Amino acid sequence: MKAQLAAPLAAAAALLALPFGLSDFWVFISIEVLAFALYAVSFNLLLGYGGMLSFGHAAFLGVGGYTAGLVVKQSGLPPALTLVCLPVAAMLVSAAAALVIGFFSVRRAGIYFAMLTFAFQMLLYAVALKATALTGGDDGLTGLKPPGFLAQPRAYYYFALALTAASLYVLHHIVSSPFGYTLRALRANALRVQYLGIDVRAHRLAAFVVSGAFAGLAGAIFALVNGNVFPGWLDWTASATPIVMAVLGGTASFLGPAVGAAVYVVLEVLISGRTEYWPLAMGIIIVILVLLMPEGLTGLWKSAAVRFGARAAPLPSQEAR
Amino acid sequence: MSNAILRVESLVKRFGGLAALGGVNLTVEAGEFHAIIGPNGAGKSTFFNTLTGMLRPDSGRIAFEDHDITGAPPHRVARRGVARTFQITSVFPDLTALENVQVALFAHARRSWSVWPRAQTLGAERAQELLTLVGLATSAAKPAGTLSHGDQKRLELAIALAAEPRLLLLDEPTAGMAAPERLEAIWLVHRIAHALGLSCVFTEHDMAVVFAVATRITVLHQGRVLAEGTPAEVRARPEVQQVYLGETA
Repeated sequence: MKAQLAAPLAAAAALLALPFGLSDFWVFISIEVLAFALYAVSFNLLLGYGGMLSFGHAAFLGVGGYTAGLVVKQSGLPPALTLVCLPVAAMLVSAAAALVIGFFSVRRAGIYFAMLTFAFQMLLYAVALKATALTGGDDGLTGLKPPGFLAQPRAYYYFALALTAASLYVLHHIVSSPFGYTLRALRANALRVQYLGIDVRAHRLAAFVVSGAFAGLAGAIFALVNGNVFPGWLDWTASATPIVMAVLGGTASFLGPAVGAAVYVVLEVLISGRTEYWPLAMGIIIVILVLLMPEGLTGLWKSAAVRFGARAAPLPSQEAR
Repeated sequence: MSNAILRVESLVKRFGGLAALGGVNLTVEAGEFHAIIGPNGAGKSTFFNTLTGMLRPDSGRIAFEDHDITGAPPHRVARRGVARTFQITSVFPDLTALENVQVALFAHARRSWSVWPRAQTLGAERAQELLTLVGLATSAAKPAGTLSHGDQKRLELAIALAAEPRLLLLDEPTAGMAAPERLEAIWLVHRIAHALGLSCVFTEHDMAVVFAVATRITVLHQGRVLAEGTPAEVRARPEVQQVYLGETA
């Protein structure tokens, strides 16, 4: 029991102490890592657990981001209230978007599901471009700042950390629940699941909505650290990001995508600071990582633990998968 | 009326111009072990898939325990108390054997929607009982995909039983097994079905298996019922010998 608690406690302590050892710039990057970790884990609820490859997950990052931008800029609420409204509004609006998009998309599986999610996301991209009054069109929403005392980067870091940690806690509960088991069964064999008396579509849709809501929250967190929301957030390339992060970190483990997100964001910062050809460098690194580690970074960690005779670190995934 | 658990009337299923089922009638009495036999292409699989809601019939009626289930989707049919197994073994390969059965138990208890409780130990005891019943007690922690073919068939049976069905539909329960294994497998099903008071409909190619356990036999040929009766009656029918038994003998 003690050994099981050691790793999470150490991780929590490190995350809490982190801002003290970092410059403002890296605090911002850390917040970005938190947002994308949540984005990637929410995405993996679909891919890793439900076996649904969404190619339009950026729709929810974008909807969450724009919602946060509008709450901060337009609502005129006092800072304390904004603070509460921000995550709630972002999650509700993106959940609503996910309900509509999911309603149509989960009717199909595989590549058709991917194409439908992709199409809906491009539709939202067009809306973000054209609905200038709401979204600022091509210019996006700019000059966004966290409300009140959260404008302090370190304060906002803890706000983001609390939201991300709470979200991951909830998501982990979900994947370890009967619903989570049912999702995994669905990924393996949807036909068989039907014959257990389960409405496959309804369960897929529920997973889609939950996933969309948390992706929306990630979008809200990211919007306020980034300061701007652009239509580009809804572009299809933004939907490739969580796929890369999840695969990089390992879709077979709960926290794998979060690890992938951290590595992706930090690599991007380090490489883009040195060369304008950073996408090339990222591409090469990702190709190598995927070829060498088909189960992602967390898969590598597990097999290393086995090889060196130690018990694999108690990733929450081990009971979940 | 009688104690028929399943009543199928004039079931028709067409694929394009071809009538895969050309008006099939079938009555299964409670407690029966009913075999459906027939050469390849006779319509056995189409019949099963239409019974369980995977295919919608073009006409005809299916009643389970006097409830009309014609055209109902698979999950509704399953909820009524009809469980099935598949010709091609159909388990959840990357879940453990225990988890496979747990998922089925959750579905049956309508807990597949509960998102908060930890599933790990939920229903584990009952799942273990079911695994023991089919002879897989020691394989509970193994991923289903690593089990042998025969053990996956047993696991499928445990999954089907988790739903506490009253009617069990087995699509070629011994497919892919060696001859000695087949009898053993069907006896296992027979013993359990008998103990639990389940009715059972199964399709089968191996006549040794059919005559070992069937209480009634329906012979399908080109989408129609060619003969129906007790094993002795069916065996005695000359037309059956001609189209089917003669073919394999």
